[in-house]
Amino acid sequence: MISRPSVKASENRPAAEFAAGRPLLAVRGVTKVFGATVASDAVDLEVWPGEIVGILGENGAGKSTLMNMIAGLIAPDAGEIVLDGEGVVFASPRDAAAAGIGMVHQHFKLIGSLTVAENIALGDPRWGRGVLRFEPLRREVGALAAALGMAVDFDRRVDELAVGEQQRVEILKVLSRRPRLLILDEPTAVLTQDERPGLFRMMAELAARGTAVIIISHKLEDILETCKRVVVMRGGRVVDAAPVSGRSRADLVRMIVGENLPNVSRGAKADAPSAPLMTVEALTIGRPNGTRAVEGASFTLMFREILGLCGVDGNGQSELIHALSGMLRPLSGRVVYHLEGAPAGAWLDAAALRRLGLCHIPEDRHRHGILSGFPLTANYLLTHLGLRDFNRSGWLRQRTIRSRVTEAVAAFEVKAAGPQAIMSHLSGGNQQKLVLARELAAAPRIVIAAHPTRGLDIRTIAFVKQQLLRMREGGAGILLLSADLADIWEIADRVVVMTNGRLRGPVAVADTTLQEVGHWMTTQ
Amino acid sequence: MDVGLLIGLFASGIRLSMAIGFAALGETVSQRAGVINVGIEGIMLLGAFLAALGAVWTGSPWGGVALAILGGVALAAIHGLFAVVLRADQIVSGIALVVLGLGLSGFGYRLTIGAAPVEIPSFQSLPLGPLAKIPFIGPILFDQAALVYLAAGTAVILAFVLRRTALGLELRAIGENPSAADAAGIDVTSRRFLAVLFGGAMAGLGGAYLAIAQINAFVENMVLGRGFIAIACVVFGRWQPLRVLAAAVAFGLAEAAQIRFQTWYPKVPYQFFVMLPYVLAVVALIFSARGSAVPRALGKPFAPSRKSGGRAYGAAMRLRARLPL
Amino acid sequence: MNAAVVRRDVFWGLVILLAVAVIPGLCILAAGKSPFAAYAALFGYTLVTGNGFAEVVVRAIPLTLMALGVVAAFRTGIFNIGGDGQLITGAIIAVTLSPWLGRLPAPMGLMAFLLVGFLGGGALGAFVGWLRARFDANEIIVTIMLNYVALQFLTWLIRGPLQEPMHIFPRSFAIASSLELPLLIGGTRVHAGLIVALAAALIMYLILRHTAFGFRMVTVGENRAAAPFAGINDRRTIVLAMLLSGGLAGLAGAVEIAGLHHKLQDDFAAGYGLAAIAVALMARLRPVGVPFTALLFGVFYIGVGALQRQAGIPFPIVWIIEGVVILAFLAYGALIRRNLAHS
Repeated sequence: MISRPSVKASENRPAAEFAAGRPLLAVRGVTKVFGATVASDAVDLEVWPGEIVGILGENGAGKSTLMNMIAGLIAPDAGEIVLDGEGVVFASPRDAAAAGIGMVHQHFKLIGSLTVAENIALGDPRWGRGVLRFEPLRREVGALAAALGMAVDFDRRVDELAVGEQQRVEILKVLSRRPRLLILDEPTAVLTQDERPGLFRMMAELAARGTAVIIISHKLEDILETCKRVVVMRGGRVVDAAPVSGRSRADLVRMIVGENLPNVSRGAKADAPSAPLMTVEALTIGRPNGTRAVEGASFTLMFREILGLCGVDGNGQSELIHALSGMLRPLSGRVVYHLEGAPAGAWLDAAALRRLGLCHIPEDRHRHGILSGFPLTANYLLTHLGLRDFNRSGWLRQRTIRSRVTEAVAAFEVKAAGPQAIMSHLSGGNQQKLVLARELAAAPRIVIAAHPTRGLDIRTIAFVKQQLLRMREGGAGILLLSADLADIWEIADRVVVMTNGRLRGPVAVADTTLQEVGHWMTTQ
Repeated sequence: MDVGLLIGLFASGIRLSMAIGFAALGETVSQRAGVINVGIEGIMLLGAFLAALGAVWTGSPWGGVALAILGGVALAAIHGLFAVVLRADQIVSGIALVVLGLGLSGFGYRLTIGAAPVEIPSFQSLPLGPLAKIPFIGPILFDQAALVYLAAGTAVILAFVLRRTALGLELRAIGENPSAADAAGIDVTSRRFLAVLFGGAMAGLGGAYLAIAQINAFVENMVLGRGFIAIACVVFGRWQPLRVLAAAVAFGLAEAAQIRFQTWYPKVPYQFFVMLPYVLAVVALIFSARGSAVPRALGKPFAPSRKSGGRAYGAAMRLRARLPL
Repeated sequence: MNAAVVRRDVFWGLVILLAVAVIPGLCILAAGKSPFAAYAALFGYTLVTGNGFAEVVVRAIPLTLMALGVVAAFRTGIFNIGGDGQLITGAIIAVTLSPWLGRLPAPMGLMAFLLVGFLGGGALGAFVGWLRARFDANEIIVTIMLNYVALQFLTWLIRGPLQEPMHIFPRSFAIASSLELPLLIGGTRVHAGLIVALAAALIMYLILRHTAFGFRMVTVGENRAAAPFAGINDRRTIVLAMLLSGGLAGLAGAVEIAGLHHKLQDDFAAGYGLAAIAVALMARLRPVGVPFTALLFGVFYIGVGALQRQAGIPFPIVWIIEGVVILAFLAYGALIRRNLAHS
């Protein structure tokens, strides 16, 4: 890691056309420490009215912490925040909102069981300190929504809305306070290709009206498209800043990571005839609330390939993955696993599938995949309970487990104190590496990988992709679920697209384009 | 069946339900805010004792009520400290409260009014003038002790506050998604603490009702599971105040019925009738599918992103910083 | 762990210890007695006199068994507060079947008696576990309600079908002498149930640490959502864990009858359930620590009983002590967690 002092604000000014007057927001020497971690280290930042600034950096670089301080969610330990020339101290997000700063969070801060109107009214004294007054809210916020071209139903519960609609509610809630500074944290993570232009148009419109916009995103295409200026953070410091014009994606990557990353090469697919590993026939899967998540899905995963499953979050991919990995029973249809010893016709649960040679890298490891308060050995054992080496008729062989885990930790370069280290003490990247070690250790024939690189730093992402390619070389069939088309394009051989529970494809990557697939992700 | 018998049954049912009713209404508020307090049984017991004590000392049942509420708030403050501020396990903290309630009430009783039998001033029924004369429903609904009207009024007010006021919206928000509420600028910790205190006050009131409006005596261990039945009422009433009170009335009716069954069917061992309300609670829990009504953040500790609690908390933190820690 | 953190832990540990000693002490003052004399009498009787210590051990036996049951349930994520009901059920079924069991040859009859107690409590526990796994019914309320139901059953049975032959007293007939647990130490009431309790502690330790079943239990307790991912049948694990939990309580009931009372009577194990929870929590839910914390609570109960007899201090103070101890451990755990976060 390069150890440079934070870039001073004076070195980080936008082009001359903006620099007139004073900055709307000036952050000076702001520091925040959590325990032993320095999340923000004497950060300087200036934002002028009307400009769109992109904040880049790996996970853990301190971007969200900095934005949370600006938006009043966290109080800085040192330094000052100056808004329009006056120093401000925010005791709560309400103060920041009253001062004209609004933030749209990556993980929406909406209450699912409340209506749209109630969510907008929450915490905003304009709509009543005692009894709530919804009529004025409907009028004013409705007018705002119309001006922005948004359709909004005030009386629907938020958890009944699609993800894109929920984001619109979040944005509306923030914009209804008429902020002078709008902060967007990973806004395109949940949008389809077709919805992004609408968001960018809104940002440009706000900027044209004099609102300052800060956008945090790891999607470099979005940054290149919308921002005039980028600021790069690493290890809690601002390490680089530059105007966007003339930069390429590779330039941005170099600014973030500090060096060029090795290219992950897919390698040519052999022309040898392929055999099926997993055949899915007319699978229909239901949700707990009675609706159908997946409708009549059919495809085949072949030997020695990576099949990318694309789609915007919430279109049934999670349910499909859960059914294929034995966690969820489908309503109808069947899955034929062409694995040695697989009984025909019977539904196989996760343990049975693992014994046959299938493994599953879960989408949300915290929810399903790991036991955070337990040591690595327990986490490794979690999916190997059926292994005779570990479990002899119900009795656990602790020593064998420990040595196997030590080997796995070394092989996958997991930074941990030892096999008995507690899982929650590992960083996110290392936790995921252990999950990979655990799943890939038994040389599985089928790998189901759901968002395996989500939330990881760039180096670990490259490592994960390398491991998946290695498994492919060994003859495994990998079903790779990812919302990031760029990731899929890098390593997949074929893609299949999921929209509203229905599958389209598979189609060889060579026979289509990113734009076409992106388009499929939004049409019926 | 004789109409007079029915009227007696229903009137008795309402009379027997309000101890559970008060506690259940308080627990509704606490759980809507995301904090579960299984210790209301202990708070009710302490409230019952303090009500008897206060009534004897002041000569008026209202004195007993006041003391019981104070005691309920004090005990609930302990739960608030552990569950909300220290973010410890809410169930275990509640269990401690049950045990403490047992101990404090029993210990206090034997040291004070338990020494010799004593007359406890209690609530008489308060007929609401002409309303009480309406045939059939008059004696049932409008000829009860003052506290019964208080319970009904409280339920109505709570229902209104939860649905139509900013405070109610905030309470619902912190029970569903405290981090979103935090981001909206709401002080989750202090709101939850207040909700817990309210729950304790109501549980204390419920215990007071038991001692000085229903049984008119204090006997050690007299709550006999009503506090837990109150929690079942909250689930059965889907965390909505009016429904919760209705659930409590259902239990009161079951209790009134079971008492009468003992005299009507003397051949059946009375213990089987005594069991009825408890079995009813189990059945109610099985069949009230929790579904989507349970506050999503119930029982989960929440760590706010910034300090809260205002000046008092700030002063306490500065004092703590000076201790050898 | 650095020195500052250790110092903080010790500091808070002492503060908490002080609170545990001081709060009941204040109550004793309020009763008009000297706390120092009271504590001296309490520990003096229980730890110094042979008779006192023997009684402590006798009390610790059922507490150990029930607390092990609590450990089994709590570690699986189920708050089984129904120890009392499961204890009563096990004892009732064992006593009901005792006329037939008494006809079996000596050691087998006793083993069968204890086994029946285990199964009786276990059946009730498994029922609650099934309700929780299948209907998501709040097990805290269900188990407590069933405690009251079981208690009513007991009061009926000992005044009705199981009543002693002369039909005067509210207690059951005596069990056959072949079903009694032998005394271990002459001149005291310490019976062979002690061996059962210690064996149970060892077995629980082995189950939780070294068996696949125990691993499944603690996995479900730590993160139930991980069960379908790993292919663990969480419903079956919950029911079996509750079978084990209720079974241990039922076993405690059978042991109390076989070793101590030899018949059913009112209040034969009143309030043990809540005490067992405190014992389990104080042992940090580890089976190896349970016998020791059970001894400590035995000291409290027997000691306070002696205090009541000798000094007139009301017995309910033992529950004040119990409540303060539970809170103390909660506070200690929370503060250690904070220290760890800040270190």
